[in-house]
Amino acid sequence: MRGMLSELIAGNAERDPKFLALSGDHGYALFDAIRQRRPGQFVNVGIMEQALVGIAAGLAKTGHRPLVYGLAAFVPLRVLEQIKMDVCFTKLPVIFVGDGAGLVYSTLGSSHQCGEDVAALRPLPYIRIYAPCDDYELQASFEEAMAYAGPAYIRVGKSDRPVVNQRPLPDTLAHFTHQPESVADTCLVSMGSMTAVGHAAGVEHGLPHLSVFRLKPFAENAIGLLSSFQRIIVLEEHSRYGGLASSLTDAFIDAGVAVPRVQVLSLQDHFAEHCGSYQYALSEHQLSDADVQQRLRGLMNLS
Amino acid sequence: MSSKPDFDPKTLRRHVLHMAHSGNSVHIGCAFSLIEIVSVLYGSVMRYDITGPEMPDRDYLILSKGHGVMAVYAAYRELGWLEQEDLDRYFSDGSKLHGLCEASVPGLEICSGTLGHGLPIAVGIAYGLKRQGSDRVVYCIVGDGEMNEGPMWEAMLFASHHQLDNLVVIVDANGLQAMGTTGEIINLEPFAQKFESFGFSAIDCSGHDMELLQTALRPTPGKPHAVIARTVKGYGVSFMENKIEWHYLRLNPQLMESAMAELETPESRS
Repeated sequence: MRGMLSELIAGNAERDPKFLALSGDHGYALFDAIRQRRPGQFVNVGIMEQALVGIAAGLAKTGHRPLVYGLAAFVPLRVLEQIKMDVCFTKLPVIFVGDGAGLVYSTLGSSHQCGEDVAALRPLPYIRIYAPCDDYELQASFEEAMAYAGPAYIRVGKSDRPVVNQRPLPDTLAHFTHQPESVADTCLVSMGSMTAVGHAAGVEHGLPHLSVFRLKPFAENAIGLLSSFQRIIVLEEHSRYGGLASSLTDAFIDAGVAVPRVQVLSLQDHFAEHCGSYQYALSEHQLSDADVQQRLRGLMNLS
Repeated sequence: MSSKPDFDPKTLRRHVLHMAHSGNSVHIGCAFSLIEIVSVLYGSVMRYDITGPEMPDRDYLILSKGHGVMAVYAAYRELGWLEQEDLDRYFSDGSKLHGLCEASVPGLEICSGTLGHGLPIAVGIAYGLKRQGSDRVVYCIVGDGEMNEGPMWEAMLFASHHQLDNLVVIVDANGLQAMGTTGEIINLEPFAQKFESFGFSAIDCSGHDMELLQTALRPTPGKPHAVIARTVKGYGVSFMENKIEWHYLRLNPQLMESAMAELETPESRS
């Protein structure tokens, strides 16, 4: 996904002279393409995330099209108030990219991990939120964010998960990545880094799997696609509070549709306890690939 | 309202008192310390089109110190950008103007009052204008207490590194913040030297001497410029001057009458 992100940044810079990529001294190789092809449209603002967002707001006010890049632990977490007051209030077209979301920086510890970004941003008016799983979802998210005359956040988590989508997507609606012919009463739903895991589980257990990557406004077709299932199992590398599971149940409530039984495999309510690999870090939340497989098998036997 | 704006500080202060009295508002002292600054900016320094607050070639005024917003409302009334009714109805249900700076009011550009936001945005605007080759200038009024906030210094680093000589930062240095003097809470002196060491040119001068301000507010070629405007909180009404409580106090009819009496001019009396 990082190759696609790099290309989207450089390509948009080439297409639009007003497009500027701003970084707070993060994203070393990610910006090689834009620095090579449009060096004047990349600005390393320095290690100052708070001013970075204000500067981006000022640039947007003068007609520029800024993209603010940071690690999700800093953008949006550290600069939530700047996003709220400097950008969302005035509905400025600023794209925020929060990289390394979830537990990507497993060895660096909790300071660089982020399971709260979607929850933090969802209540802010006007902002659009995307959590793509692979190149094609990222491309659809990015293009929609660029076309939107307001702020958008793109959550980029573990970027080398297996590719799920085989071709470009026409929109950012929820879509089945696996849909067996036999009728199932359970559907798997996931976002971002857990989509590949959910998709593989769907294939393995013969269950439908729905990818939801536009969290706000919540993919408007999702409830229609899910309302016939008796049970939904949500997978997300985000806190249980305010992420995909919360957004999904909120959407059921807002649609006035009875909420099916929902079971959630998400980050648990604690920080990193020990150091280790990405899969190890996930295992502290019973969310490693092996944990998910085992828990899903358990859940299926219970049904 | 006459067709020509009257930026006499007494006129502007009377507008502020009228609003504060109508709305039973606090923050009178915060507005009074920057009246002369606002008067000079709109009276002779900034380029703008009186027909509207957001015309394309205007210079920007960014009020980072949102607590002084009534001073700007007063100028907008004189410019015809606000109606008398907007001032009369201050803080009434469904009215237009908040007690801090909100971008929903045309001309205010940004939201401030949550401190440490305006200067970074002003710097972004100045940088954006530079990139466009524009000669428009960005004036940013900040509070001295507000300079406790980290993003202000972050923004100064960026402004200096990028040689934003279209930026003028005006510090409303009234020496008082919410709970005491700046000297006893977080000492900011030597203030001008701090700006200079960050790569700004800096002038330390009275913030109530309008003749001095006219010269002091000129941008400096090659670097961002700062004016440490030494002001008095509550300036213009003797019983409010340098009194921290006038951050919080409201006007009762007696106080309103006494304050207005100090701000009379031959024209206002007639």
